[in-house]
Amino acid sequence: MVNGVPLTFHLAGINNQNFIMRDEETGTYWQQISGAAISGPLKGAQLQLILSDELTFFTWKAEAPQGMVFNDVPEFVSDYAPKDWDVRMKKAPTVISFNEHSLGARDLMLGVQAFGASRAFLLDRVLKEKLVVDRIAGEPVLLLVGPDYQSIRVFHARVAGVNGVTGFYRIAEPAALFMDDATGSKWNFQGCAVEGKLQGKCLKQLPALKDYWFDWRNYNPKTTVYGKE
Amino acid sequence: MQRKRLTLTLIVLACVAIALFAVGYPIYVIRPFRHQGAQELAVALVVARFRVIASSAAALTAAIAFYTYWRSMGLWRGVLAGLGVVITVVLAYASRVNIYELMFHPVARASFSQPSDVKLDGDEKVIAIRINDQARAYPIRSMSYHHVLNDQVGGTPVAATY
Repeated sequence: MVNGVPLTFHLAGINNQNFIMRDEETGTYWQQISGAAISGPLKGAQLQLILSDELTFFTWKAEAPQGMVFNDVPEFVSDYAPKDWDVRMKKAPTVISFNEHSLGARDLMLGVQAFGASRAFLLDRVLKEKLVVDRIAGEPVLLLVGPDYQSIRVFHARVAGVNGVTGFYRIAEPAALFMDDATGSKWNFQGCAVEGKLQGKCLKQLPALKDYWFDWRNYNPKTTVYGKE
Repeated sequence: MQRKRLTLTLIVLACVAIALFAVGYPIYVIRPFRHQGAQELAVALVVARFRVIASSAAALTAAIAFYTYWRSMGLWRGVLAGLGVVITVVLAYASRVNIYELMFHPVARASFSQPSDVKLDGDEKVIAIRINDQARAYPIRSMSYHHVLNDQVGGTPVAATY
């Protein structure tokens, strides 16, 4: 939606392996990764990013039992990708590459744009560490692997109105996933304290994008990489 | 007579060239597994925006010129000029086809089910959003094929992309 006008988007091309959309109302072309209008009457406009998660169906269903799931379109099911599509695509060639940080073009990253900066985290490393405390532009952030060991969320690791809570460590309890070292409160995968002094407080979730290194780096030329300083 | 032949030949050739460029250049530049330079992409997208108008105008112009001058062309030149007109008409039709949506079909009418009614493995990934207390999940298995889904969640128009 731009200026209150809903737009209907269609797949319309590709730009260095990130796809281009075209809206049927104005004929404007939009870049998928950025939501920016790159050509046409609305050039320069920006779609608003809606916070989204990439979760396992198991985790999503537990969190949103009243939610609705997009159904397969029967005539195209045979063309759908296998569930490990992004991993299989690691073998596909790329047309751009950035030989930096010892990263391969199709290494899967978790990219975060926050506080005016970009930072990328090697997905396998986050999955292995399960809880990552880091900083983006000086602000504390927390990356948390869910109880399914596959879903990941990123939070601004600052509790509104409470100073000094920036250290966290993982616990493995049915109702809680991590604990803060300042108050000992226990927190869940939604980033909310479920037990302790800070019970009821929630961390602000930050948008994160799972992307191949070449694509993330192409659109975030000043990105830094966790563990590669 | 010779001037009429030359006029028709030049008009048809120009129309074929315009239609060919309008349809072919964006396809040439914006194709998978090819590096897209910033400037050529910008030009290709402008051409793509106007390809239907440009190729249709070229086809119409070629057809009118042929109708006006074909009697002066002789048999073989007339056949060749007619072939040029046919090519522009075919290109004008092709300009309306979205080849990307031929490769990855769009979703004409999206339908949704409750999680308990969906046959997805527990470890399958979904893109999840929540707006005004309405939660949606878009399975990556299908989104990596359709790429774009126009939806409405919690009263908000949403374009889910992957």
